[in-house]
Amino acid sequence: MVIRDSKGQPQEAARVARELVNSDGCEILYDAEASSGGFAVHEVAKDLGVLCIHTNSETSSLTADPKIRIPNAFRVCRQGIHDSIAGGAYAAEIAKAKNLRNWATCSPDYAYGRDSTQTFMEYLKHFYPEAELKTEAWPKLFQPDYTEVITKVIQARPQALYTCLWGGDLTSWIDQGNIYGMFSQIQVFAVNMADYTALTTVKNLPQGIHSGNRYIKTFPNTPQNAAWADEYRSRYGEYPTNWSWQNAVGIHFLAAAAKKANSVDGTKLEEVLRGLTIESPFGTDGTVTIRAEDQTIVNYAIGWGTTIPQEPYVPEVKAISWETIFELETEWKKRNNYL
Amino acid sequence: MAPKQTTLSRDLLIAGVALLVLLILPVLWPSKALSDLIIRVSAFSLFATSLNLLVGYTGMVSFGHGMFFGFGAYCFGLSMQRLGVSIPTALLLTIALTAVLAAVVGAISIRLKEIYFAFITLAFQMLLHSLIIAWVPLTGGDQGLMGGIPRPEFLGIDFGLESNRYAFSVILMIVGLLALRHVAESPFGYTLRMIRDNPERASFLGVNVFRTKLTAFIIAGIFGAVGGVIMAMFVSGAYPEFANWTMSGEGIFMVMLGGISTFLGPTVGAVILSLLNDLITRRTEHHGIFLGVIILVFALGLRKGVTDFIADWFQARRESAGAQLKGGRQ
Amino acid sequence: MTGPRSSVGCGVPALHGRRVYFSPRCNLDLAALTDCFSSASCIVTQTTSGLIIGLLLFLVAAGLTLIFGVLKVVNFTHGSFYMLGAYFAYTVNNLTNSYALAVLAAAIGVGLFALFFERFFISRVYGANVLMQLLVCYAFILILDDAVKIIWGPEFKSMGMPDIFQAPPFFVAGGIIPVFYLFLIIVTLFIAVGLWLIIAYTRFGTIVRAAAVNPSMVSALGINTGLIYAAVFAIGGMLAGLAGGLAVPVRSLTAGMGFSILIESFIVTVIGGMGSIAGALIGSILIGLVRAFGSIGFPLFVEGLMFALMAIILILKPSGLLGKEG
Repeated sequence: MVIRDSKGQPQEAARVARELVNSDGCEILYDAEASSGGFAVHEVAKDLGVLCIHTNSETSSLTADPKIRIPNAFRVCRQGIHDSIAGGAYAAEIAKAKNLRNWATCSPDYAYGRDSTQTFMEYLKHFYPEAELKTEAWPKLFQPDYTEVITKVIQARPQALYTCLWGGDLTSWIDQGNIYGMFSQIQVFAVNMADYTALTTVKNLPQGIHSGNRYIKTFPNTPQNAAWADEYRSRYGEYPTNWSWQNAVGIHFLAAAAKKANSVDGTKLEEVLRGLTIESPFGTDGTVTIRAEDQTIVNYAIGWGTTIPQEPYVPEVKAISWETIFELETEWKKRNNYL
Repeated sequence: MAPKQTTLSRDLLIAGVALLVLLILPVLWPSKALSDLIIRVSAFSLFATSLNLLVGYTGMVSFGHGMFFGFGAYCFGLSMQRLGVSIPTALLLTIALTAVLAAVVGAISIRLKEIYFAFITLAFQMLLHSLIIAWVPLTGGDQGLMGGIPRPEFLGIDFGLESNRYAFSVILMIVGLLALRHVAESPFGYTLRMIRDNPERASFLGVNVFRTKLTAFIIAGIFGAVGGVIMAMFVSGAYPEFANWTMSGEGIFMVMLGGISTFLGPTVGAVILSLLNDLITRRTEHHGIFLGVIILVFALGLRKGVTDFIADWFQARRESAGAQLKGGRQ
Repeated sequence: MTGPRSSVGCGVPALHGRRVYFSPRCNLDLAALTDCFSSASCIVTQTTSGLIIGLLLFLVAAGLTLIFGVLKVVNFTHGSFYMLGAYFAYTVNNLTNSYALAVLAAAIGVGLFALFFERFFISRVYGANVLMQLLVCYAFILILDDAVKIIWGPEFKSMGMPDIFQAPPFFVAGGIIPVFYLFLIIVTLFIAVGLWLIIAYTRFGTIVRAAAVNPSMVSALGINTGLIYAAVFAIGGMLAGLAGGLAVPVRSLTAGMGFSILIESFIVTVIGGMGSIAGALIGSILIGLVRAFGSIGFPLFVEGLMFALMAIILILKPSGLLGKEG
């Protein structure tokens, strides 16, 4: 396996991808780039026809849009639309129970932030029409000082808030929100909270943040998943992250496909990967499938739970039904003329 | 910078030979990595040389030149994706729109001196960058232009073939450099040098300093954008990183590393930086430390660009030879 | 494609309608802004918010403007000084569990590093092309970002709030003032006053001001200007490191965290005037207040507002609000 770093520059990603295939003789591209880098590598895969596995880009249009989708590229990571439907469904139940009508959003101002927040609110209202968006805050991505967005949100006095902040941003936002007492006043729904990097780094994790799962050992609540997390931790000294399980499942798929096709030729692997189902500790029912029609994974564990300030951080995660997700995803695709 | 007795025909000859060499190279040495390198160098060479028209020739230090690189890439990409025109039409459209942008930005910025000019160009670039990221329906936001740039046939040339795209990039570079050379060595170019060395005197001599600087800014912007077009074709897309301050920074480093006082200095800098980048990233993930140390060595050790160093060395030799001659005659 | 305007605020997405994006027209929420101005609690909260943003920014910008005013060098590495301060504070806090020691370590550590940087690297490019100085600074940014990743690891870090500050916030006229932020405001104001006293009333301050205006005369008077330059650079770096250390409880640490603060301090120094510390104070508080109230009235355009402000000042008075001409 040849590993390269694109320095976060998409033209570097493109150059490196081409070099790996043209000069280094690589036959499979394993793309862990986000956003623009992922699309740059996607174009290279289109040009060179090489098998490409995307393990990080969550933009739904990468596989949903038939104008962008290509037969030799597969996505083995979660998708924005799945997260939003799941989040909306879960939040609506809580909102109904606690009568949370006034909502606020506070998400980073870039494509993922806008899309995710907007579709979440759509699906929240789909399941709970009484929800009303009272105020929005849009900090810049990687903005260090969230004071003005926090105070803005607090003053609007919402009952609930959605945020898709992640990683270091989420951590500093929580730190700063804490000193304003934000979490005692508002029910916070953070789709990217249940990831160990965020959970273990925040020193004063508030109780009761509704968290979407990125990767958490307690979900799926199976011995296989727990075993994988423990083995990972003993090998690398830290808990797995969202990227860990996604890349792992990518390799699992490749291995299974190679065995099934009895070959490592890219074209043969492509045919086998389409529609392939494997057993996986990350599947909602023990299996994960690469859906044939748009070459992206489905049936992976998606769920929400609430935080406690110590291990296991999110003790109980409620799984969201994939039937609901499929139904609404199809309707979303039709709306966007992807079908 | 001693004015050389160059003629248009000599430049054309050099350009012709270079073009021939570059076109035959992939046949003699079929390495895709080499072709990719040459395409990227083409893009950066135009970008850096156009920047040097401002920095080296006119004395206008711009921190925001990346805005034209990015703007060119997006104009070209959007024209091809949305308007479905041919590649040359998209190129011309890009040049026209960039001229407008450069005119507007230049008209506001050029009135400021030195470091303030630098800052305001940076501010404009950051504004453009923010706009690109925010205007998601048009630009795709931080994801860039998705879906690839179409490659329609033109006059029987199939741009789907990599070799044709390579030839197109190389031809654009040579033609662009020739044009910039022509500008630099024309009376207009010498007026720029005069403005750099003594703007007051230039204005006393009747030169409209503002208008001349603005024209230089527009020309520089246009060729910076053409560099962006070449890069957009290479990656089949346009990304906000093309309009980021890091792109402006890379342009400045190519100019400083290669040489500010010669015409081909920035191109040499583009080659050096691209090679360094490729070699370092192939071997280590700590590219920051290695690149940083090498830049320090250049900046503190040579204290001038590579071609400046060479040019000065030749100058010194000529002077000592002349002195010997004089000494001998006495 | 635009979304329907709602009476509640901007950008309520259309349900089952076409794909909606938050169009630039959705940016203005003047109703919310006027509501805020007529509410005491909102004014108190947002003004404190603006002050805290501004004062932390001031510490960094003061160093930058001091270095430019005296040494005529634009210190592009200033953001990295801030970053180093934050990391030093984080480590010392882990070792000693004392926030005070951590902040002190940040200030002194970065001050020493700034001294080293000036003596061995920047001093070699005094008077050279500003681009050469930029090159040296950028090289250090690259090196320091990688060094931080190697020493502390690429994962982002967080220190958490020291126990003394974990008290509930104050309420003034219904507005919220967090305890930690009140502490930061007091400390930074204290430092600002101290800085002013030193520059205006001590012998050292007089020499520094003289060196800014006429370094050759100062040297002719027998004062070692090299030492003065080194001291000024060290103080500037110390201020940035101090800011980094003070802010650590409410920041997540990562390589490259210095970049946004660098750009913001540039904006502040341009607005306030390169070389003027009082200008930096005014500029940073202005930026802080613009952010605080701007995020209510122009939620999607706050960043653009800051750049627009900088552009306006550059056009109307390029030397800044309190800067000297020429």
